[in-house]
Order: sequence, then C-alpha cells, then structure tokens
Amino acid sequence: MLAGLAGDSVAHAALLRALLPPLRSFFRRRLGGREDDVEDLLQETLIAVHQRRATYDPSRPFGAWLFAIARYKLVDTYRRTGRTSARHTALDDMDELPDEFAFAEASDARADLDRLFEDIPEKQAAVLRATRIEGLSTSEAAERLGIGESDVKVSAHRGLKALADRVRDSLR
Amino acid sequence: MNSEDLIAALSRDVRPVPRHALGQRVGLGLGAGVLATLIVVGGWLGYRPDLMFAMHGAVFWIKSIYTISLAICATGATLRLARPDGRVGGWLPLMIVPVLGLAAIAVGELAMTPKGDWLAMWLGHSWKVCSRNVFLLAVPIFAGLLWSFRRLAPTRLALAGMTAGMAAGAWGATLYCLHCPETSALFVLTWYTLGMAAAAVLGAVLGPRLLRW
Repeated sequence: MLAGLAGDSVAHAALLRALLPPLRSFFRRRLGGREDDVEDLLQETLIAVHQRRATYDPSRPFGAWLFAIARYKLVDTYRRTGRTSARHTALDDMDELPDEFAFAEASDARADLDRLFEDIPEKQAAVLRATRIEGLSTSEAAERLGIGESDVKVSAHRGLKALADRVRDSLR
Repeated sequence: MNSEDLIAALSRDVRPVPRHALGQRVGLGLGAGVLATLIVVGGWLGYRPDLMFAMHGAVFWIKSIYTISLAICATGATLRLARPDGRVGGWLPLMIVPVLGLAAIAVGELAMTPKGDWLAMWLGHSWKVCSRNVFLLAVPIFAGLLWSFRRLAPTRLALAGMTAGMAAGAWGATLYCLHCPETSALFVLTWYTLGMAAAAVLGAVLGPRLLRW
C-alpha cells in the first residue's frame, strides 16, 4: 500500500490483486450465493480503494481501513436495493469477523515488523528477515547476504535480542 | 470486465499521493469556499467601516475566538470523518468549551447591565438577519467542502455532513464578524450559534444524499 501511495504502479496492482481473496470471502459470506453481486461489489471496492487511497493513514491499521470501505459498499448496496432485514441492518455495527481479522492482523503485523526492523542495525534486520521470516537455513542466508555462517548466527541472536528489548520498552 | 482487467486499468494511472493529501484536499475546498464567502461579505454586506478600529477592541476578538475555535473543532471532526475508519473522537465534545466560555461572558454582561436593557442587548440591531446571514455565508464554504469530499471516503454520511456544515457555518460566522458590528456576547451566543446550528442541520440532512460514493 505504501509503495502504491508513492506512485509504484506494480506494487499498487499487486496490492489490489492481493485484496481479491479476502474481499471476495467477505462479500460472499454476506451475500450468500449471489455471485454477480459479489463480483460487482468487489470491483466497486477496488475502484474505491484506488480512487480514495489518499484517505488511508499509514500510521493506522490497513485492514481496518480496507474493511471499512468494503462494509460501506455493502451497506450502500443494501440501501440501494432496499433490503433492510434485521440481519442486514446489523452490519453497521458489526465488528470484523475471524478471517478478515486474520488478514488485517497479518498486514498490520508486517507493518509493525517493518517498523521494528528499522530500529535495529541493517545487517541484523536482513539476517532475521532471511532466516526467521523467509525460512532460509543459516548457510543459505550466509550465501545470500555474502557473510559467514557464524556471522549469521551471531547477527540473528543479537537482532532477536535487540527486537525483544524494543518490544519490552514499547510495552512499558 | 473481470477483476484482472480492472486492476490493470486502475494501475495504469497511479499518481503518487502526498503524505498529507487528505488535509490538502480539505484545505483547498475550505480555502476556496472562504475566499468566495469573503468576496460575498465584501460585495453584499460590506465590511464594517470601523473594522480597523474594532480590531483593537476585545469584543471583536471575543467574537472571533468563539467562531474560530468552533470552526477548528468542526474542521478537525470533519477531517477525521473523511476517512472510512474515522471516528470523531474528542472534537465534538470539545465544542462545548467555547460555548460555555462565551456563556460565562454573557452572564457577566447580564450582571453588569440593568434588567430593562437586557432585551435590547439580546436582540441588538440585527437579530432578524444575523442567523440568516451566517447561514447564507456558510453555503459557499459548504460547497467547497463538498468538492473536497468527492475524493474522500466518509462512511458516516449524516455525521460527516453535520460536521462539514458546522465547519462551514463557523468559518462563515468568522467572516461575518468582519461585517457585523454587534458587541454583545449574549447576542453572539444566540444568533451566531443559531446560524451555525442551522448550517450543521442542513449538512446532516444533505450528507447522506450528497456525500455518497
């Protein structure tokens, strides 16, 4: 999202594509089998995400922003088509359900990690990304980063420790 | 059109969004509206002839601070509600502070004025037109804010319309101070506030219709 805001069209397209599955399941669950409506809403939401991307505040969770738009589009559709059964009017107050939640959490967690990684030395961050997030082995990471295996181990250890300190500080 | 084509089409035009794009957008709409209202005040009502002199007195500033602080609160709330996941937060309750402040001044004013003059003080010379003028001066500013909202994403339309109307009313009232020679706090508290409230109500009514996206 941030790269898209900076004008990176490839990243922007990748983001929009990544939004399809969670949005589709969001609408599908609420529209129960009306596939045409699901696709219409999906596209409307993508257009809104694109056109109104200036309203995203990078310091706030992306998932909350996205599903606020999706929910608005859904409620707007109900309003237009005049469907006002109790189940649907309750949507306004509805909080995120588990799988949107998981998506939101995943995207927020990444943003949080990025922020934390900015605070520790670059090498430690690179090692941690390679070994703990991408799941490379010590030797693969050493090869990729062009440093010794023992250096990888030491950096990972120091990096984790530094991160733990940061987290502890921020909780205090 | 399938979603893949749509994404390709949307990604063709990805202009960078500056960090404070939302604030700029609202600022631009607000600024244009304020400018239009300023011209209206000059051309239609005329600036008060003793404006330069009045600006040295406390009364002018009490009125201005009242309307400006309300305008800031309403604008802050509007900015919040321009985001889909926005909550008004503390801006709306904060508006009670200037109202109470001016009310305190009005009470002091009443205490210092003989009872027989209360009515004259409350009605001033222009009570019949004051609220209406404040309301009318809000219209260009409200129009400017509506333009801003075309790229924004409010999800609580009535509330966003109300705060936008209130902001337009309060900025309009601020500019009305450049014309209006009334000096009583009680007068401002009643008639200015009434005009601003009318603008807020209009915004709340129009919001769901005009802010839809």
